[in-house]
Formats: sequence, structure tokens, C-alpha cells
Amino acid sequence: MPKGGHVDDYASMGEGLATSDEKERAWGQISETEKGDDNVRGGPAEDDDRRSGAFFQILDSRFTQQELPACKPLLTPTIVISTFALIGILFIPIGLASLSASENVVEIVYRYDTECIPQQSQDDKVAFIQSSATDKTCRTTLTVPKNMKAPVHIYYELYNFYQNHRRYVKNRNDKQLRSKEYELETTNCAPEATTVDGSPIVPCGLIAWSLFNDTYSFAIQNKAIEVNKKNIAWQSDKDEKFGSDVYPKNFQQGGLIGGAKLNESIPLSEQEDLIVWMRTAALPQFRKLYGRIETDLVANEQISVTIQNNYNTYSFEGEKKLVLSTTSWIGGKNDFLGVAYLTVGSLCLFLALAFIVLYLLKPRTLGDPSYLSWNRNPDRH
Amino acid sequence: MMNSMSVPSKRSTLERKLDKLILTLFGGLFFMCLIGAIGSGVFINRKYYYLGLFEDVEQQFNPSNRFVVSILTMFTLITLYSTIIPISLYVSIEMIKFIQCAQFINKDLRMYHAETNTPALARTSNLNEELGQVEYIFSDKTGTLTRNLMEFFKCSIGGVSYGVGITEIERGQAQREGRALNEIQKSDTVVYEKGFNFDDDRIMRGAWRNERDPEIFKEFFRCLALCHTVLPEGDESPEKIVYQAASPDEAALVTAAKHFGFFFYRRTPTTVQLRESHVEKMGNIQDVSYEILNVLEFNSTRKRQSVVCRYPNGRLVLYCKGADNVIYERLAGTNQDIKRLTREHLEQFGSSGLRTLCLAYRDLTIDTYENWNEKFVQAKSSLRDREKKLDEVAEMIEKDLILIGSTAIEDKLQEGVPDCIDTLSRAGIKIWVLTGDKMETAINIAYACNLINNDMKQLIITSETDAIREAEEKGDPVEISRVIRDSVSHDLKRCLEEAQQDLHIFGQKLALVIDGKCLMYALDPSFRVDLLKLSLNCSSVVCCRVSPLQKAQVTSLVKKGARRITLSIGDGANDVSMIQAAHVGVGISGLEGMQAVMASDFAIAQFRFLKDLLLVHGRWSYIRLCKVITYFFYKNLTFTLTQFWFTFHTGFSGQRFYDDWFQSLYNVIFTALPVIILGLFDKDVSASLAKKYPQLYKEGIRNTYFKWAVVGVWAFFAFYQSLIFYYFTTTASENGHNSSGKIFGLWDVSTMAFTCVVITVNLRLLMACNSITRWHHLSISGSILAWFVFIFIYSGVMTPNDRQENVYFTIYVLMSTFYFYLTLLLVPIVALFGDFLYLGLQRWFFPYNYQIVQEIHRDEVDSISRTEFLEIGNHLTPDEARSYAIAQLPREKSKHTGFAFDSPGYESFFASQAGVYVPQKAWDVARRASVRSSKRTSQR
Repeated sequence: MPKGGHVDDYASMGEGLATSDEKERAWGQISETEKGDDNVRGGPAEDDDRRSGAFFQILDSRFTQQELPACKPLLTPTIVISTFALIGILFIPIGLASLSASENVVEIVYRYDTECIPQQSQDDKVAFIQSSATDKTCRTTLTVPKNMKAPVHIYYELYNFYQNHRRYVKNRNDKQLRSKEYELETTNCAPEATTVDGSPIVPCGLIAWSLFNDTYSFAIQNKAIEVNKKNIAWQSDKDEKFGSDVYPKNFQQGGLIGGAKLNESIPLSEQEDLIVWMRTAALPQFRKLYGRIETDLVANEQISVTIQNNYNTYSFEGEKKLVLSTTSWIGGKNDFLGVAYLTVGSLCLFLALAFIVLYLLKPRTLGDPSYLSWNRNPDRH
Repeated sequence: MMNSMSVPSKRSTLERKLDKLILTLFGGLFFMCLIGAIGSGVFINRKYYYLGLFEDVEQQFNPSNRFVVSILTMFTLITLYSTIIPISLYVSIEMIKFIQCAQFINKDLRMYHAETNTPALARTSNLNEELGQVEYIFSDKTGTLTRNLMEFFKCSIGGVSYGVGITEIERGQAQREGRALNEIQKSDTVVYEKGFNFDDDRIMRGAWRNERDPEIFKEFFRCLALCHTVLPEGDESPEKIVYQAASPDEAALVTAAKHFGFFFYRRTPTTVQLRESHVEKMGNIQDVSYEILNVLEFNSTRKRQSVVCRYPNGRLVLYCKGADNVIYERLAGTNQDIKRLTREHLEQFGSSGLRTLCLAYRDLTIDTYENWNEKFVQAKSSLRDREKKLDEVAEMIEKDLILIGSTAIEDKLQEGVPDCIDTLSRAGIKIWVLTGDKMETAINIAYACNLINNDMKQLIITSETDAIREAEEKGDPVEISRVIRDSVSHDLKRCLEEAQQDLHIFGQKLALVIDGKCLMYALDPSFRVDLLKLSLNCSSVVCCRVSPLQKAQVTSLVKKGARRITLSIGDGANDVSMIQAAHVGVGISGLEGMQAVMASDFAIAQFRFLKDLLLVHGRWSYIRLCKVITYFFYKNLTFTLTQFWFTFHTGFSGQRFYDDWFQSLYNVIFTALPVIILGLFDKDVSASLAKKYPQLYKEGIRNTYFKWAVVGVWAFFAFYQSLIFYYFTTTASENGHNSSGKIFGLWDVSTMAFTCVVITVNLRLLMACNSITRWHHLSISGSILAWFVFIFIYSGVMTPNDRQENVYFTIYVLMSTFYFYLTLLLVPIVALFGDFLYLGLQRWFFPYNYQIVQEIHRDEVDSISRTEFLEIGNHLTPDEARSYAIAQLPREKSKHTGFAFDSPGYESFFASQAGVYVPQKAWDVARRASVRSSKRTSQR
């Protein structure tokens, strides 16, 4: 409504009168339909004579009167203490359970990125790794610290590798990966989208191009242990994201070789190494599943490992590790959750106890009017 | 309309402060982007060969131009972190405010006036929360505080006080002191009519004849019936007669005389005719005609009015009524008892808020009269200085008076006004009365409304001093202005000194009374600071005889000078400029015209509804809005900071942690509704408690809930929580999961983190609630559920559209691992641990007042609010006990006797009766506009 000059005021005054009449009529009408709800409000309102008429009936709802039934939790010391105690009691067993699960996991971690470079090439590791002439085979022996029940999972772990870099993350084309009909889709894949003559690279993009290509083989007492490379990727990736009719094409044909080559006769859905690699990691240090050893490893057994150290982490000061690990229900070795649960649980228990002591020493009466500020210092209002 | 000002558009102070917060957030956004941009420039390097940073790479990642990389990354990051700016906050606030207005304020039964069928009306939805922070109320008098209805209420005759009525203010006082008032049930025969609200069996229906000295009663009643300038109209029967009087006081007095048995029914140019009953003996009715010889008119300097009349039996009497001090000066030296008793009664009446007049008479001998009359006729026919001469002549006969007694007229207050004012002032609100009335009337009303009482020291700055009057008589405008200016300057300095002394040494409460003429000069820029300082020290301020424009000026003075939040309330056209000038304008809707309502932001039917409007709706709105704003701030900051921490681990590339849709829907769906529910339904204390403990309102005046410290606490916990979200979810996600040993990718972790954020942020809202209705439950569980439904669908389907299937199946992958459930339990609890500890300790050791009140009444059910007025405590609070003790200390008190008899139109009314044109004065115009007249309506 314009608040402008007085002419408007007079004009709108008339409107105001008219509308108020209409409203009254409207209230009357609605009130009839609402009459059934009269007994919702109950007694106390009825003895208030003032509140009568249509207005009362239509408006006396708990919503408009802001009297919706509500619970009013007060964070009293008792509640604070019992909440802390409850969390403590709940968390410590969970913490213990997950910690023990994590403790049961046997894990062998072996960092090989430096050791797998021959002495004479230590000064120029990048040249060593990039040369196609050098022998990149690297042998070492690992001792099994404890019995490791099958399956023993083989991981490779990379450090300082930014799989989560924005340019990297988006450098793929999910459509192309999914179905043969989208073979030409290479959006987002630059600079690994097409070959020089313009035919599409399948799978295109930097992620696939930089596929990890170190390989590991294991032997105990010169007897090779089979590495099962099946079922290392999440089923959903295999089923839906990577098509069974999509075969690698023009892959790693360019001047620069980023990483592993793919067997062009196997569809992408079966290339589990690629699928694992393409589920990009959240952090710049990450593990990826390489395969599984399906036999139990006995404590103090010597495993000889043959590593094909092909992958270049040397240009960017990365690290490479080989991990052999069993799993429990919680997964691989990860003390974090257990420790966190235990810490929080015991902290809560401690706080609960501390507050109980505090409560006994300096009780806080609930609702003591002398706490009200105007009762504490009457001089200052 | 000359006083009207251009209509300002009003924004609430809270929103203006919100703008500052948003600016700060922009600063934070820029800072975060700057860090990221610098980082990206440093990070980018060809050595990361897997990023494909070869020759023809796009500029954003081109390591050969790091500066451009930084600049471009900056823009990327701005879009990435833009969630820190709560855009949806404004929309949510608007929605909340609209519903608060349309559903809560407009439909509140506590503010619904049944008699006139008027509900409260919020005309703007901008200022709800401003109502919770008002510190100064500027109120008009007539029509707002009072009904402009004068009623004969009590009297003191011959040293005995009559009248059993109890004024609102007495009732209030008794209630505060815990006394029970034995209110006498009014007898069935009691007569009530407009202007007469008196009952006392000792004098009604002729019973006065049995009192100790019936003669003095006759004088009293005759004085009432004869000494006035009222014109009777209509049928000459007691029921139908209508008295036309310049002031409602006079009509009330004549009406009173009628009920006492001295019915004034006819006026001729020289006589007044009364129908007297019970005079000679009970039941006897006779018509008597009194000859009126002279009328010595009322004016503001004389403060009295006299008539000389001749009885049918030839007795010559001068009847005089006027201000107590004027009459007492002119009394004969006899009968000290009556004088003393009457003085006591006057004080009693005055402090009960009644308007008093003293009545006196003098028997004249024929000689004295004849002598005097000659001079009077001479004076009356003189051409120069007639008024002055008349005054001088009147002075000669108005002496040696005999005191009869006094009358007490109640300027009928609007219902519940003293109680409301008392509650509001306990809430820390200072109430200023700005009125066009005379000083005495204004002070009187201030007494009646409990604004001023005898414990307060009155500081009066008036233009009614001898020096100024003298200057005015000389008539030189320059001289007048100089004299007033000097006097105002002097008064201001004196009052300021007194105020400092009294306030800080004795702790006495002060009341400032200033009239319009002085105000005009005091508002001058050179005195403005003094005036402001003085008035801010006073607990109540009364400005009388002010023009509408001055009302607005005073309002702006406080609004701009003291930077406090002001509210103006008025009902007439003369209040429009004041209503527009204040932060919040409230119009009284109902009988008066619509002008004030049209200019106002809120319209209520009665002044007393202000209590509900401010203490309940205003306070709630303020607290709710503060919570909504701080919560919005928190949830967006938390969300954005997790994103920020991730940036550090992505080589500052600006990679999103969350899927685009997560980020877009975060504010729109997953966290939108609960905060609106909070803004609508949160109640820290019930409406009745908010009014029972008005002191709670002070938290709003001090802006306790939206200080930088409060925002800081929220920011700290947002910081803490975001660290928990990011580091806990990522750290726990490393290594294999389940017995299959498979590994998560980025999108699994981010889905996990987002799930934790949504759950925690919604639960945090629950912790912020004081009352939890089923709407809270519905909206919070609904929001969390909405997230799960969304992610189940969103990550469950492949679409042919051109999107990267980043989050495809993530939630199902997650839910197949224990990691999901363990993290889901751990992270929200750890994240809320800090808040919970803080809230617990805060309530334990540094409780807010409202929290104590909650605790005191923790077992009560809300429906008690229905009987809210019955449960007011009878014991003195320590505060009141203290002020009572102070009141007992010997000190200079201002005894108020309550003289007030005027109408600004008074003089001009009689002048026009006499055919003389007297120019109207500014306050006449002011007053006229606010008088409820049906004329204006009929003209339209």
C-alpha cells in the first residue's frame, strides 16, 4: 500500500474500511465450517468471555497462538553428565572391538621406490625410469611377521600422487567407458583424447593414460604363488561403468607413454586394474588393490618378491609401497576408528566423572531465582 | 499535513547488522580464495606429468604463467566457496517474517480487541525483530494513553474525602506492594454516565444533609453548578440534557453537580437556572435562578475561574475554582484544619493520577462589589491591554476566599495502561510522552500512567517563567527568542548537573518535563547534545505542548543521537510524522481515523497490546531471527570449510569435494526446512512468562544474541566441526574395507562426509531449539531422510545425459562396509561434542536469564498462559524492596497535587462565543487533529 501523499491516505482509508467488512464476513463463513473443531481447544478458553465470535473461533488454533505442544529439553547438569556417561559406555566397547579387529590384521609394508633403483642410477632416477633399455626388475625378500590367513591382499600405495587434482579427476569420459556406441565421445579427455590422426583413444583421458604399471610376483622357496587379480574392483563399476563391449583402442600409442598398456582383446569391464585405478582416490596418498594371494602365509616365512618397477613416481618425488595385508570385518589395518572411539569414549567418561565431582563440590540449583541478573546486581539494569 | 515528512523506508537494525556479517563473510571468502590461489600458483608444475601439463595446456593449469593460474584459480575457488554466502538466508528470513506477521501477530488473540473487533495488524514484515530491541517508546497521549474522557471521580468537601472508586494506578500500586484492596462493591443504585463515575453513600441522593456541616456541601455543589461556562443543549431533563463545554473537565463537573441534586438546565445571558433537590428538606425539588454578574474567565496564567452571582435572596457570592496553589494564595486566614486536610487530599488525589481543582467562595457585601464592578467595567471596555487589565481587576476581588474543598477528575486512561507502562519500564524500555497538552495535564497523565511518581525527582524546563512572560509581554520577537534561549540553556545545564548528582550519588530516578517552546530551542544543534544527555539519564520524559513536527524531531534526536531503537505510538494524524521518524511506528487502530495506521508499521487496537507486541512477539521474533541467522552462518561455514580443507590436498586445483548436486541442494533441500521451523516455532519461554519476567526483554535491547562474540562462538564450532568432518572421514577411509579389502575412491569419501555434514547440521539445529514440536521432528528427520532418498536415487541410476557418473553407486558401496556405520555414529557425535560441552557449561555456570526462568517453570504446562493474569506474585522482588527502602529515605520529594484544568482550545472557544477572533495556536492545531471527531468522517 503506498504510503505517499495524503490523497492516497484518504483513498486507501476507504478501501481499508471496505476490506475490513469483507473480512468480517469471511470470518463468519469460515467459522461455520470450523465449528466441528470447537472442542479441540478444551476448557480454559471458554471462560474467557472476551474471546468470542467468529474471530475467536477461526483464530484460536494452537498454531496461530503459538501454543503448539512442545517438549522443552533443558540441558541440566544431570542430562549433561548422563549424556557423557552414555557416550562413554557406548563408545568404549565399539572402540575396543574395532581396535582389536584392526590389531588382528597383519600387514607388511615395503617401500621400494628408492631401493629398486640400481646404485649407479640413484642420481638420475627419472632417466632410469624413463629409459626403455634399462632392466627394471627388482627382487627383494619379505618376512611374514605373523600367520596371515588367506586371502592376503596385495596393495600398492602411492604418495604425493594427486589423483584428486581437478584437471585429473575430470579427465575421463564415463560415456565412452560405458558403451561402445559412445566410442567417439572424448569430451574432457584432452590432451589424451585422440591420436594424432584424430581417431579416438579408448579409454581416453589422463587417468587411464597414467595407469599404474608396476607388477609384482611372489614366490616362497622358489615356488611361485599365484596372484588372483579377479574381483579387485567394486562390482558396480564392473557391471555398469565399464562396458563389456568396449575394447581398448589406440591406447598408449602416442609419443608419451604415461603408464600401463592394455590388452586390446579384453573388454574394459574385465580390465580390473584399470577400473581400480579409475576410481580416483580422495587424498594424494592412497592405496589401491592389486590382487590377492589365495594361500595362507605362515609366520617367519620368507617371501621373495619380484617387482617390475616401471611406474614413474620419481619426477614428482612420489613414493611407492607394496603392502601385503589380511583383513578383518572392519577391513584393512586402520587403528583410526578404534582409537577415535576409545579416545572420545574415555574423554566422555572422564568428563562425566569430573562433572559429578564438580556437581558435588559446587551444586547448581535448578531454577534458583537468585541467578537472575536483575537479582544479582540490582544497581545495574 | 504541513508537518508530514517524506516516507522513509525502514529496515531493521538486525538486518543492517546482518549486512555487516555478510560483508565479513565476503572478506573470509576472499581470504580463503586468496590462499587457494597463491597455493595453486606455487603448486602447478610440469613434474606432475600425469596431469598432462604439456605445451598446449589451458591457461588455468599452465605452469609457465603462474600468475594467470592464480588469477583463474581464484575465480574457480570463488564459485567453489560461494556456499559460504548464505543466499537462501534472505529468502528464509522473508518467509519467516511473513508468517510471523500474517499468522502470529495478526491473529494473536491476546492482541485482539473484541469490543471493536480489531485484531492487530502488521503492515510491514520488515520489522518484527526490531520489536524485540526497542529501548525508547514515544507515545502520544490523547487517544493512546487516555480515552479523552473526563470523569468526576472523587472530591474532598470540608476536609472529608468522598468517593469510593479506585484508580488504575492505586490498584497497580497495591498489587505491587501486595496489599489487598477492599474494593467496595458498588451499590445497585449507582448512577453512571459519561463524565460521572462517583459513588459514596454519604453524599449521594441527598444523604449529605446528614453530614456534619451541610452548609459547606451546598456551597460546594453550587460552586460546581454555577462557576463554569458550560452551555446546556437539548431537552431540559436530567436524562437528556447535553452539556457543551470547551473542556471535558467542565462538563464532568457540571454533570457531577446534576447528580448531587443541583441540576443546571438553562443559561440565559444573565442567569443560570438550577433545579435543586433535597436542599431545604429531603425530596423537595425547586427551580432556582441565580443571576450571574461577572465571569472572570480561565486562562493559563490565572489558572482559576470565578463567577460573581446573586442569589434570589440577594446574597452576593464569588465562586472560584482553580489550581490549588493559586487558590491557597488567596484564602482567608481562617480554618486551617480544612486547608490542611484538603491539601492532604489533593496530594492523595494527585498521586492517584487524578486531576484536581480547588473550590472556594467568598461572600461579598454590596459595597465591595459595587466598587469593584466599576473597575471591572472600566477594564473591560478599555482598548489597550484589556486582558492584562482584566487580570489585574480580577486579582482585586479574588481574595480572602474560603476553601470549600476540591474535586478530583479522572482523565480516563485506556484499559491497562499503567500496568502496561509499568511492565514495559521493568523491561528496560523508556517511555516518553509527547503531547500537545499543557504541562499540568501532561504531568498529571504521567502520574496516572505510573510514568512519574513521587519517588522521582522532576526536572522541569518550561517557558512559563516570569522572565519569559515578561519578555513576551514586550512583544519583541528577537528579545523573546533570546530570553527563552538563555533560559533553556541555563535550565539544561542546571538539570544536567542535578541529574548527574542525583543519579550517581543518590541513585534517584529522574523525570524530565519540557514544553514545546523550550524544546524548540533545546533541539537547536548547540543544545542538542545536552538535551540528549539529560534525557537519556531520565527514566521518563514528558514533552508537552509539542507540535507534530517536534514529536518527529525528538524521535529522530534519540534515534540518531543515541543510536537506540525507538518506537512511536499514536493514533491521530498529528502522530504521523513521529510514527514515520521512529524505527518502528505503531498506530492505534479503532475509533480514530486511519492516518496513523496508514503511516504505521504495526497497528494495534489498544496501548496495552504493546506489551504483547514487544515482550512476546518482538522478543520471540528477535531471538528466532538471531538463531536463524547464526545457524545459517554456521551451517554454510561448516560446509564450506570442509571444502576448504580438501583444497589443501588437491594441489589447490579447486577440485570439488562434493558432487555438484550435493552442493546445490545442501541449502535448498537438506538443511532448508528445519531452520524455517526454528524461526517460526522456537520459544524460549512462554508468552505469559515473557510478560511475567519483563526483564528478559533487556537481552534484546542489549542485543545479547547477535553480538560478534556469539557469532564468534558459532564460527569456532563451525571450524572445529569442519575439521572433524574432513579429517575423520578421510583418515578413516584409508586402507581396505570389509573383508574384500577393496578401496574407496574420492566420491565414496565425499558422500560419507556429506552424509555426516547433513546429519550433524540438522542435529545441531535440534540442540539450538528451546522447544521442540512435532514440526521440528518432522522437518529434521525429513531433511535427513530427503538426503538419503536423494542419494539412493541419484547414485542408483545411470542417466543417458551428459554427466560424469562420479557418485554412481557410492552410497551402496558405502553401506556395504562397516566403515559407513562406524563413521556415521562417530563423526556427528564428535562434531557435536564441542557444542554440547559448551552449551552444558554455559547453562551450568553462566546461565542466561531466560534459562533460569525456564528452569523455574520447567514443570509447568504451557496452557497456564490462559490464566496468566492471576498468577502475579504478591511478594516484593528485591528490586522493589530496594526502591521501597530508598523511598523511605528523607529527601527532597516532589509532592504532586494534580491540578489540571484546561483544554488548549479553551480560550479561543470562549473568545469565539464572545464573537472575538483569537488566532489559533500551534498546539490547538495539534490537539484538534487528534480529538476524536465524527465531523471529519462525515465530511468525507
